[in-house]
Amino acid sequence: MSENLDQQEKVAADNQPDLRKPPGPWKIAARKFLRNPYAMISVFVLLFFVIVSFFAPYLTPYDPAKIDLKNSNLPAFSDGHLLGTDELGRDILTRLLYSGRISLTIGFSVALASVIIGTIVGAISGYFGGWIDTVLMRFVDVMYSLPSLFLNILVLAIFGDEFIYMILILSFTSWMGVARLVRGNFLQLREMQYVEAARAIGVPNRSIIFNHLLRNSIHPIIVNATLMVGAAILSESALSYLGLGIQAPQTSWGLMLSNAQEFMLLDPWLAVYPGVCILIVVLAVNFIGDGLQQALNPREKKKHPVRRLNEWRKKFSKSAV
Amino acid sequence: MGEYIIRRIIQALITLFLVTVFTFALIHLAPGGPTQVMIAPGVSPEAFEVQKRNLGLDDPIHIQYFRWVGNLLQGDFGTTFKNNIPISDILWPTVGNTFVLMTIAWLVTLIIALPWGIYNSTKVYGLSDQTASFISYLGFAMPTFWFGIILQQIFAMKLRWLPLSDMWTYGKQGDLGDLAMHLVLPVTVLSLGFLASYVKYARASMLEVLDQDYIRTARAKGVKERKVVFRHALRNALIPIVTILGLDLPMLVSGAVLTEKVFNWPGMGRLFVDMATAREYSALMAIVIITSVFVVLGNMLADILYAVVDPRVQLGRKGGGSK
Repeated sequence: MSENLDQQEKVAADNQPDLRKPPGPWKIAARKFLRNPYAMISVFVLLFFVIVSFFAPYLTPYDPAKIDLKNSNLPAFSDGHLLGTDELGRDILTRLLYSGRISLTIGFSVALASVIIGTIVGAISGYFGGWIDTVLMRFVDVMYSLPSLFLNILVLAIFGDEFIYMILILSFTSWMGVARLVRGNFLQLREMQYVEAARAIGVPNRSIIFNHLLRNSIHPIIVNATLMVGAAILSESALSYLGLGIQAPQTSWGLMLSNAQEFMLLDPWLAVYPGVCILIVVLAVNFIGDGLQQALNPREKKKHPVRRLNEWRKKFSKSAV
Repeated sequence: MGEYIIRRIIQALITLFLVTVFTFALIHLAPGGPTQVMIAPGVSPEAFEVQKRNLGLDDPIHIQYFRWVGNLLQGDFGTTFKNNIPISDILWPTVGNTFVLMTIAWLVTLIIALPWGIYNSTKVYGLSDQTASFISYLGFAMPTFWFGIILQQIFAMKLRWLPLSDMWTYGKQGDLGDLAMHLVLPVTVLSLGFLASYVKYARASMLEVLDQDYIRTARAKGVKERKVVFRHALRNALIPIVTILGLDLPMLVSGAVLTEKVFNWPGMGRLFVDMATAREYSALMAIVIITSVFVVLGNMLADILYAVVDPRVQLGRKGGGSK
């Protein structure tokens, strides 16, 4: 009975004019994102890492590069060194924090740079089509045919392992995915009637690209950019591990792992910390990317827990497999 | 069909041409130019001039390019700065070693991943399916070389069950049992990396087929579920899987830089890293070109294979190479 009443009330409420502005697409997306537990936990974890590593100088009294042989290889929880010290007496926790700075900086800047390159190339290719499209896409094919890790190593070997070269080469080898994505979107969107209408009233190419096409393909670009942060952090750690990336006295998680492998006999725990940091940060970034994907894609169906799905299947499906 | 294959081959050749131009240009863009890169540092100015002339670096740039490509085609990759060893002598054995490692890792992955993915497609969101997606999250977020280091610490340093690194124990070259022991850890690391995506592909491909009308027809006729899955669905689901295998073929040669470095496996990836640290540019260029050849060939084979096994692919429109 009460259910009926509820429904009636609801119908009545629906009939009353709602004076509030209906939520826009961004608000709906934000609401969906905020309700996604994995994504929200990941946001906090990532924020924690960002804050801790960028405020590292205020959080730890040690210098990450200062060698102190009297206190080398201290175990964890020893006096003043929460995670102990490494083979040169450097405080491990401090080094982890400073490494996070470099790894995160590279992750975000590479993602940003490659999204910008990819969007520009994809936009030009998809909008103008014809021979421009053919030439640019051929170039993308060539870039895909070059094994990217090999290319990264080759460039770093030729140009030297400066921080900025690393960002440049990593972005240069990872923009192709975005370019293909944007091109595909543009090819679809430019046939839409509103684009035709805009062209008919004489809107210049530049504003059609920016105001009409780009705005409508922004969602997949954002998702892709997020996932690219994780990939860039992994690539940076790999290159630094191989000795071609970040060089001492600077430090990064990959470089710490490379040290740790050398001194495996002395302290097996050295290898665990930086790896766990990479794992957690990349996992967090990927979960945020997934959350964004679900929030921004209007066609994405709500994911139900397995238990509820099974219940429904038992109750309502006759052909339960 | 024939026309399509010819067009695809021409496309591959153009791509390879661009790859060589690109690599060549990279060396010429290096700070100080190719002279700085190709000639060992610290030689006297007279020796520098002589070497420059011998290497042909005084010639116009297009002649240098064609000479370089001509040599590559004849299998002549030049010599190392240090010791002047022909690069092909040190390169080809490592290709073989990498091939051994990668083929075994690949087979192990396939043997586990395909049945697992097929099983998951029949029990969507079941425990096994959830486990697979958990592993895939881990696999995408974990640095593979770190996983290798951790395995080394547990199984080689702590438990001492398996050898730490290298391909053979010293003095036991050619002993297959010894090789097998050395393979366990690197194969585990590599397989975990591939496993996640292969299970996903197999599952997605099966799910797509299981959703088709003719599967419903088969079920409606009363065909046994086992027969529906293996006879009706699997055959068609294998088509996209075969394509992905083709796309991944080049990995058999190039895929294992990090794993080879961690386990000190004498393969091409490790050679590449060592050559990079030693700044041996001719060797680096040779390896980049060889791997690119394999990648381009793999892509081409995958495309052609796809067209051959799936009659629905429209040959005329599928070209263009961009997926």
